[in-house]
Amino acid sequence: MRRHPVEPRRDELILTSLVDIALCLVLGFLVAMPLFFETGIFVSAPGVARASGGDPGTDVKANIFLTDDGRILLNESEVSIEQLSDLLPKLLDRSRERRVVVATDDQVVYDRVMKVLDLAKQSGAADLALLRKRRAP
Amino acid sequence: MKNANIDILPLAAVALTLVLIMMVVSPLVVTRNSTPVILPETHTSERKVENDLTVSYTVDGQLLVDDKPVFTLPELESTLQVQLLRDPYVLVVIRADKECLHSHVLDILAAARHAGALRIACATKKYREG
Repeated sequence: MRRHPVEPRRDELILTSLVDIALCLVLGFLVAMPLFFETGIFVSAPGVARASGGDPGTDVKANIFLTDDGRILLNESEVSIEQLSDLLPKLLDRSRERRVVVATDDQVVYDRVMKVLDLAKQSGAADLALLRKRRAP
Repeated sequence: MKNANIDILPLAAVALTLVLIMMVVSPLVVTRNSTPVILPETHTSERKVENDLTVSYTVDGQLLVDDKPVFTLPELESTLQVQLLRDPYVLVVIRADKECLHSHVLDILAAARHAGALRIACATKKYREG
Protein backbone atom coordinates (compact mmCIF):
# COMPACT_ATOMS: atom_id res chain seq x y z
CA MET A 1 0.00 0.00 0.00
CA ARG A 2 1.30 3.36 -1.04
CA ARG A 3 1.29 6.05 1.58
CA HIS A 4 0.29 9.56 0.67
CA PRO A 5 3.13 11.95 1.16
CA VAL A 6 2.51 14.26 4.10
CA GLU A 7 2.15 17.84 2.89
CA PRO A 8 4.58 20.20 4.49
CA ARG A 9 2.87 22.57 6.89
CA ARG A 10 2.67 26.06 5.46
CA ASP A 11 3.62 28.86 7.81
CA GLU A 12 0.91 31.28 6.71
CA LEU A 13 -1.01 33.76 8.76
CA ILE A 14 -4.68 32.91 9.04
CA LEU A 15 -6.13 36.27 8.15
CA THR A 16 -9.78 35.33 7.80
CA SER A 17 -10.60 35.86 11.48
CA LEU A 18 -8.65 39.11 11.49
CA VAL A 19 -10.63 40.39 8.52
CA ASP A 20 -13.85 39.33 10.26
CA ILE A 21 -12.95 41.28 13.36
CA ALA A 22 -11.86 44.33 11.38
CA LEU A 23 -15.04 44.38 9.32
CA CYS A 24 -17.14 43.92 12.47
CA LEU A 25 -15.33 46.90 13.98
CA VAL A 26 -16.04 48.97 10.86
CA LEU A 27 -19.72 48.00 11.03
CA GLY A 28 -19.82 48.74 14.76
CA PHE A 29 -18.37 52.18 14.17
CA LEU A 30 -20.81 52.88 11.35
CA VAL A 31 -23.76 51.92 13.54
CA ALA A 32 -22.53 53.68 16.66
CA MET A 33 -21.39 56.94 15.10
CA PRO A 34 -24.85 58.53 14.72
CA LEU A 35 -25.52 57.86 18.39
CA PHE A 36 -22.51 59.92 19.40
CA PHE A 37 -23.39 62.81 17.14
CA GLU A 38 -25.17 65.74 18.59
CA THR A 39 -28.44 66.42 16.91
CA GLY A 40 -30.68 69.42 17.10
CA ILE A 41 -34.15 70.87 16.86
CA PHE A 42 -34.70 73.90 14.69
CA VAL A 43 -36.50 76.71 16.43
CA SER A 44 -37.68 80.20 15.70
CA ALA A 45 -35.97 82.75 17.88
CA PRO A 46 -38.05 84.84 20.26
CA GLY A 47 -40.08 87.44 18.53
CA VAL A 48 -39.28 86.28 15.00
CA ALA A 49 -41.99 87.42 12.65
CA ARG A 50 -42.54 85.03 9.81
CA ALA A 51 -44.16 85.66 6.49
CA SER A 52 -47.15 83.40 6.35
CA GLY A 53 -49.47 82.49 3.54
CA GLY A 54 -52.59 82.36 5.60
CA ASP A 55 -54.29 84.61 8.00
CA PRO A 56 -52.91 83.69 11.41
CA GLY A 57 -56.11 84.78 13.01
CA THR A 58 -58.14 81.94 11.53
CA ASP A 59 -55.67 79.10 11.94
CA VAL A 60 -55.95 76.68 14.84
CA LYS A 61 -53.40 77.71 17.43
CA ALA A 62 -51.20 75.59 19.64
CA ASN A 63 -49.88 77.88 22.32
CA ILE A 64 -48.16 76.15 25.19
CA PHE A 65 -47.23 77.93 28.37
CA LEU A 66 -45.00 76.39 31.04
CA THR A 67 -45.26 77.82 34.51
CA ASP A 68 -42.68 77.95 37.29
CA ASP A 69 -44.75 75.59 39.44
CA GLY A 70 -44.70 72.80 36.82
CA ARG A 71 -48.07 73.34 35.21
CA ILE A 72 -48.63 73.19 31.46
CA LEU A 73 -51.22 75.38 29.78
CA LEU A 74 -52.37 74.48 26.29
CA ASN A 75 -54.28 77.40 24.81
CA GLU A 76 -54.88 78.70 28.34
CA SER A 77 -56.27 75.38 29.61
CA GLU A 78 -54.28 73.40 32.14
CA VAL A 79 -53.25 69.96 30.91
CA SER A 80 -50.97 67.19 32.11
CA ILE A 81 -48.05 66.03 29.96
CA GLU A 82 -50.05 62.89 29.03
CA GLN A 83 -53.04 64.98 27.99
CA LEU A 84 -50.72 67.25 26.02
CA SER A 85 -49.27 64.33 24.08
CA ASP A 86 -52.82 63.20 23.37
CA LEU A 87 -54.31 66.59 22.45
CA LEU A 88 -51.44 68.14 20.50
CA PRO A 89 -51.55 65.77 17.47
CA LYS A 90 -55.32 66.32 17.20
CA LEU A 91 -54.84 70.05 17.40
CA LEU A 92 -52.05 70.09 14.84
CA ASP A 93 -54.06 67.94 12.44
CA ARG A 94 -56.54 70.79 12.23
CA SER A 95 -53.87 73.46 11.88
CA ARG A 96 -52.70 74.73 8.52
CA GLU A 97 -49.32 76.04 9.65
CA ARG A 98 -48.74 73.27 12.22
CA ARG A 99 -46.96 75.78 14.37
CA VAL A 100 -46.40 75.37 18.07
CA VAL A 101 -45.56 78.41 20.17
CA VAL A 102 -43.94 77.77 23.53
CA ALA A 103 -43.68 80.46 26.17
CA THR A 104 -42.50 80.07 29.74
CA ASP A 105 -42.19 81.73 33.09
CA ASP A 106 -38.76 83.08 34.03
CA GLN A 107 -37.61 80.22 36.26
CA VAL A 108 -38.42 77.29 33.98
CA VAL A 109 -35.52 74.93 33.35
CA TYR A 110 -34.37 74.54 29.74
CA ASP A 111 -34.68 70.73 29.80
CA ARG A 112 -38.40 70.99 30.50
CA VAL A 113 -38.90 73.26 27.49
CA MET A 114 -36.94 70.90 25.26
CA LYS A 115 -39.09 67.97 26.42
CA VAL A 116 -42.18 69.90 25.33
CA LEU A 117 -40.57 70.88 22.01
CA ASP A 118 -39.67 67.21 21.49
CA LEU A 119 -43.26 66.24 22.20
CA ALA A 120 -44.48 68.87 19.75
CA LYS A 121 -42.15 67.51 17.07
CA GLN A 122 -43.38 63.99 17.72
CA SER A 123 -46.95 65.27 17.43
CA GLY A 124 -46.23 66.60 13.96
CA ALA A 125 -45.33 70.25 14.51
CA ALA A 126 -43.73 71.81 11.45
CA ASP A 127 -42.56 74.98 13.14
CA LEU A 128 -41.51 75.56 16.71
CA ALA A 129 -41.38 79.08 18.06
CA LEU A 130 -40.06 80.17 21.42
CA LEU A 131 -41.63 83.28 22.80
CA ARG A 132 -40.60 85.54 25.58
CA LYS A 133 -44.10 86.11 26.73
CA ARG A 134 -45.67 86.69 30.06
CA ARG A 135 -48.93 85.02 30.78
CA ALA A 136 -51.83 87.38 31.23
CA PRO A 137 -52.63 87.61 34.95
CA MET B 1 -0.51 23.48 -9.65
CA LYS B 2 -1.54 27.08 -9.15
CA ASN B 3 -2.98 27.87 -5.72
CA ALA B 4 -6.51 29.31 -6.24
CA ASN B 5 -6.88 30.91 -2.81
CA ILE B 6 -8.31 34.41 -2.58
CA ASP B 7 -5.68 36.82 -1.42
CA ILE B 8 -7.34 38.52 1.53
CA LEU B 9 -4.30 40.41 2.71
CA PRO B 10 -5.25 43.66 0.85
CA LEU B 11 -8.80 43.33 2.18
CA ALA B 12 -7.47 43.03 5.72
CA ALA B 13 -5.24 46.03 5.14
CA VAL B 14 -8.13 48.12 3.82
CA ALA B 15 -10.44 47.09 6.68
CA LEU B 16 -7.85 47.84 9.33
CA THR B 17 -7.03 51.17 7.70
CA LEU B 18 -10.74 52.05 7.79
CA VAL B 19 -10.88 51.15 11.47
CA LEU B 20 -7.85 53.31 12.16
CA ILE B 21 -9.25 56.27 10.20
CA MET B 22 -12.57 56.03 12.04
CA MET B 23 -10.84 55.78 15.42
CA VAL B 24 -8.83 58.89 14.67
CA VAL B 25 -11.58 60.93 13.04
CA SER B 26 -14.55 60.13 15.28
CA PRO B 27 -13.23 61.88 18.43
CA LEU B 28 -12.44 64.93 16.33
CA VAL B 29 -15.96 64.96 14.94
CA VAL B 30 -17.61 64.33 18.26
CA THR B 31 -15.55 66.83 20.25
CA ARG B 32 -15.44 69.59 17.70
CA ASN B 33 -17.08 71.65 20.40
CA SER B 34 -15.27 70.51 23.46
CA THR B 35 -17.14 72.64 25.99
CA PRO B 36 -18.64 70.18 28.45
CA VAL B 37 -22.39 70.63 28.31
CA ILE B 38 -25.07 68.12 29.25
CA LEU B 39 -27.54 68.43 26.42
CA PRO B 40 -31.23 67.70 26.75
CA GLU B 41 -32.22 64.32 25.35
CA THR B 42 -34.97 64.16 22.77
CA HIS B 43 -36.64 61.45 20.70
CA THR B 44 -36.90 63.55 17.58
CA SER B 45 -33.98 65.23 15.92
CA GLU B 46 -32.96 67.02 12.80
CA ARG B 47 -29.38 66.07 12.34
CA LYS B 48 -27.00 68.81 11.43
CA VAL B 49 -24.63 67.92 8.63
CA GLU B 50 -23.11 71.27 7.94
CA ASN B 51 -20.62 73.74 9.25
CA ASP B 52 -22.26 75.76 11.92
CA LEU B 53 -21.66 78.46 14.43
CA THR B 54 -21.95 77.00 17.89
CA VAL B 55 -22.89 78.97 20.96
CA SER B 56 -22.31 76.96 24.13
CA TYR B 57 -23.88 77.89 27.44
CA THR B 58 -22.67 75.96 30.45
CA VAL B 59 -24.53 75.30 33.66
CA ASP B 60 -22.29 77.82 35.49
CA GLY B 61 -23.25 80.55 33.05
CA GLN B 62 -20.18 80.51 30.80
CA LEU B 63 -20.86 81.61 27.25
CA LEU B 64 -18.67 80.45 24.35
CA VAL B 65 -18.78 80.88 20.59
CA ASP B 66 -17.03 77.94 18.92
CA ASP B 67 -15.26 77.26 22.22
CA LYS B 68 -13.96 80.82 22.53
CA PRO B 69 -15.35 82.54 25.61
CA VAL B 70 -17.44 85.66 25.36
CA PHE B 71 -18.43 87.45 28.50
CA THR B 72 -21.53 89.48 27.78
CA LEU B 73 -24.54 89.22 25.53
CA PRO B 74 -23.56 92.34 23.50
CA GLU B 75 -20.14 90.75 22.98
CA LEU B 76 -21.85 87.56 21.83
CA GLU B 77 -23.99 89.57 19.47
CA SER B 78 -21.03 91.38 17.90
CA THR B 79 -19.05 88.12 17.59
CA LEU B 80 -21.97 86.46 15.83
CA GLN B 81 -22.49 89.51 13.67
CA VAL B 82 -18.94 89.29 12.31
CA GLN B 83 -19.41 85.61 11.46
CA LEU B 84 -22.88 86.11 10.00
CA LEU B 85 -21.66 88.88 7.71
CA ARG B 86 -19.57 86.25 5.93
CA ASP B 87 -22.48 83.84 5.59
CA PRO B 88 -25.90 84.96 6.78
CA TYR B 89 -27.38 81.50 6.21
CA VAL B 90 -24.99 79.71 8.53
CA LEU B 91 -26.77 77.59 11.10
CA VAL B 92 -26.42 78.93 14.63
CA VAL B 93 -26.55 76.06 17.11
CA ILE B 94 -27.27 76.76 20.75
CA ARG B 95 -25.63 74.13 22.97
CA ALA B 96 -27.16 74.96 26.30
CA ASP B 97 -26.87 72.79 29.38
CA LYS B 98 -30.18 71.14 30.21
CA GLU B 99 -30.06 72.41 33.79
CA CYS B 100 -29.79 76.09 32.89
CA LEU B 101 -32.74 78.46 32.90
CA HIS B 102 -34.75 78.73 29.72
CA SER B 103 -34.98 82.50 30.10
CA HIS B 104 -31.18 82.67 29.74
CA VAL B 105 -31.37 80.58 26.57
CA LEU B 106 -34.01 82.98 25.29
CA ASP B 107 -31.57 85.85 25.86
CA ILE B 108 -28.99 84.00 23.75
CA LEU B 109 -31.57 83.28 21.06
CA ALA B 110 -32.57 86.93 21.04
CA ALA B 111 -28.93 88.00 20.73
CA ALA B 112 -28.46 85.58 17.81
CA ARG B 113 -31.53 86.96 16.15
CA HIS B 114 -30.37 90.55 16.63
CA ALA B 115 -27.02 89.59 15.15
CA GLY B 116 -28.89 88.53 12.02
CA ALA B 117 -29.10 84.75 12.40
CA LEU B 118 -31.67 83.34 10.02
CA ARG B 119 -31.38 79.70 11.02
CA ILE B 120 -31.21 78.67 14.65
CA ALA B 121 -31.23 75.21 16.20
CA CYS B 122 -31.04 73.93 19.75
CA ALA B 123 -28.53 71.11 20.14
CA THR B 124 -29.87 67.92 21.67
CA LYS B 125 -28.75 64.38 22.22
CA LYS B 126 -30.63 61.41 20.88
CA TYR B 127 -32.60 59.84 23.71
CA ARG B 128 -31.39 56.39 24.65
CA GLU B 129 -33.18 53.96 26.92
CA GLY B 130 -31.48 53.20 30.20
